[in-house]
Amino acid sequence: MPPWSDFEPFIVSGLALGGVYALSGVGLVVLYRATGVLYLAFGAVGAMGALIAWSLGRENAPGWLTWLVCIAAAAAITLGYGLIFGPALAKRDPLVKAVATIGLTLVLYGLMDLLWTTSGGEVRSLTLPSDNGGFSVGQIQVNWTQVIALAAGVVLTVGTGLFLRYTKLGTAMRAMANDREITATLGVPVRRVEAAAWLGCGVLAGIAGLLLADLVALDATTLTFLVISSLAAVLIARLRSITITFAAAIVVGLLHDLLTPIPSLTNYRDMTPFVLAAAALLVMPRRQVMAQSREEA
Amino acid sequence: MRDTLVRADPRSVRQKPGRSQLIRAAVVTVLLLFTLFALPQLLSLYYIDTMTQVAVYSMVTLALGVLAGRVGLVSLGQVAVLAIGAWVAARLLFATTQPYPVILLEAGLITMVAGVVTGLPALRLRGLYLALITLMLAGAITVVLATVNFPNGGHGFLGYNGSLVHIPPIRRPSIASNDPAYFRYAVVVAILMFLLVLAHIKTKPGRAWAAIRQSEPAALAAGINITLYKLWALALASFITGVAGGVLAGAVHYLYSIGFPTQDSITLLAVTLMGGVYSMWGAVVAALLYQFLPALLNNWGVSADWLTILFGLGVLQVLTTAPAGLADQVPRDLARLGRLLRRRLPQSQGQTK
Repeated sequence: MPPWSDFEPFIVSGLALGGVYALSGVGLVVLYRATGVLYLAFGAVGAMGALIAWSLGRENAPGWLTWLVCIAAAAAITLGYGLIFGPALAKRDPLVKAVATIGLTLVLYGLMDLLWTTSGGEVRSLTLPSDNGGFSVGQIQVNWTQVIALAAGVVLTVGTGLFLRYTKLGTAMRAMANDREITATLGVPVRRVEAAAWLGCGVLAGIAGLLLADLVALDATTLTFLVISSLAAVLIARLRSITITFAAAIVVGLLHDLLTPIPSLTNYRDMTPFVLAAAALLVMPRRQVMAQSREEA
Repeated sequence: MRDTLVRADPRSVRQKPGRSQLIRAAVVTVLLLFTLFALPQLLSLYYIDTMTQVAVYSMVTLALGVLAGRVGLVSLGQVAVLAIGAWVAARLLFATTQPYPVILLEAGLITMVAGVVTGLPALRLRGLYLALITLMLAGAITVVLATVNFPNGGHGFLGYNGSLVHIPPIRRPSIASNDPAYFRYAVVVAILMFLLVLAHIKTKPGRAWAAIRQSEPAALAAGINITLYKLWALALASFITGVAGGVLAGAVHYLYSIGFPTQDSITLLAVTLMGGVYSMWGAVVAALLYQFLPALLNNWGVSADWLTILFGLGVLQVLTTAPAGLADQVPRDLARLGRLLRRRLPQSQGQTK
C-alpha cells in the first residue's frame, strides 16, 4: 500500500472528474424523467463538440468562441435528434428509446472517425486557460479547471434541483415524469417542455465534453464511452434522484482516481463504474424493486 | 402464445406440411449445401476467411436476436461475452489436448455461467437496467483484457507470457486444419446452434418467452416464472456466444485484446436490429452486414467509418419504421414493388402471356 501522500493529488483529480460525471448524470436523469429517453449518445455528442472546438482553435479562433461553439454544437445535435425522433418514438418502451440513441452514437462516432481520423498517430489536446492558474492546499496542487469541474457539478445539481422545484417549466417536467398523457390533458405544451429538456441536456453534454476533453483526453472513443461512468451513477440513483446521482458520480470519480497509485489495481481502475453499479443492483432492496416495477408496468 | 393459437385451429392440426413450408425447407437445404460444398470452391482465401467470420458472428447475432426478439432483453455487451468465450477456449486449447468439440462445449458452459452471473442482478429490474449493466460489462472487459491479455501458450492460470518470441498458434481441430475445411466446420457449428435455438422456440421456453415479450403482467398471471425464463434466455444466449468465441479462437489462430473493443458491442446490436430479430434469417443478414460488408468495402478502398454511420442510420430507421428488420422488410418491399410493376405494366405482361 503506497503512503497517503501518493493518494492526495488523486483526491483533487477524482473530485474534478466526479463533478463532470455528476453534471452529466444530472442531465441524463432530467432528460430521462421528462421524456423517457436514456440518452446514450451523451458522450458522443460532447466529443463531437470538443472536436469541433479543437478544429476552430487550430484556425486561431478566440478561446471563448470555440467553447461556445462546442456547447452550441452539442445542444443543436441533441435538440435536433429530440425534435425528430422524440415524437416518433414517444409511445415506445424506454428500452427502444435508449437503443435508438445508440443509432445516433454510431452516426456521430463514424463521422468523428472520418473527419478527425486517428490513424496518423496525431495526438490532439484541448487545453483551457484555467489549466495554468491555481493554488495549493497543503502539498496538493489544484488548478482552476479542476475547481470549475467540481463547482459545475455542484452548481448544476443544486440549480437543477431548484429549477425543477420552483419554476413553471420545472414543474411541468416533473409532471411529465409522472404521466405524460395527463400532463398533456392539463394543457401543458408537452412538445415544448420536451424540447426544453433536450436542449438543456445538450448544453450539459457540451460542457461535459469540453471539461472532459481537457481533464482526460481529446479522443472520440474515450469521450464517447466516458458516458459509462455517468450511467453508473444514474443507475445507482435508479434513474430518478439527482441528489443520489450527484453523490454516486462523485464516488465513481473519486474511487477511480484513488485506485491509480495502487500498483495491483491501477490497471483495473476503469472497471470502477461497472463494479459499483453491479454492487448497487445487488443490494438494491427487493421491495423497492417490486414497487418500482409495479409503478412502471 | 401464438403457437398454441395456431395449434387450436383444427385445419392445421393434422395436415401435411403445406407447400410453402416444403419450399422453405428445400430452399434452406439447397442454401446450406451450396454454402458447405460450393462456396469454399468459388471464393478466394480472403473471402473464405471472411465467411468463416460471418459464420462465427451469425451465432453472436443469433444470441442477440433471441434476447431482443424473443424475450425483449437488450445486451449492449455481447462482444465482451464473445471475448470471454474466446479466452476460455484459447486457454483450454493450450492447456489440454481435449478434442475441439469438447472445448467448444466447455467454453460455452463457462461463458454461460459468467453471462448469467452478470445479468442476474439486472433481471429483477426492467430491461433498461440489463442494457446498462451489459454496456458497463463491455467497458470493463475491455479493461481486463488489456491487462490480462489472451493466452499465448504461457503457463499459469492466465497462460500469458509477454516475453515469448515464438507464439504458438491456437490449434484447430485435426479434421479442419486448412481454411476451407475450417469454414465448413464453423458453418456446421453455427447450424447446430441455430437448431438449438429453433428447438427452444418451438417448445415450452419459446412460448413462455413470447408471453413475456408481449406482457409481463399477463405472463405472470398465466403462471410463468418470468425470472426463470429470462434467465434461461440469457443462459442460452451466453452459451451460444461462448461457443462462437471458441470457434473464433481457432479461426484467427492468434487473439489480441484490441480485437474486442467496446464500440463493437453496440455496432453488433445495431446490425442485429437491422438484420431483424424476429426471424433467424435476420441473424445471418446481420452477420453478413457486420463481417462481409466491411471486407467488401475494404477491398474497394472505402473507409469503414461510412459503415458505422450507415449502421447508426439503420438502427434509427429500423426502430422508427421497420421493427422486424431487413429480413422482413426486403422481401415485403420486393413483393410490393412486384405488385406495383405488374399494375404499371399490364400490357407488357399481357404480351408475354
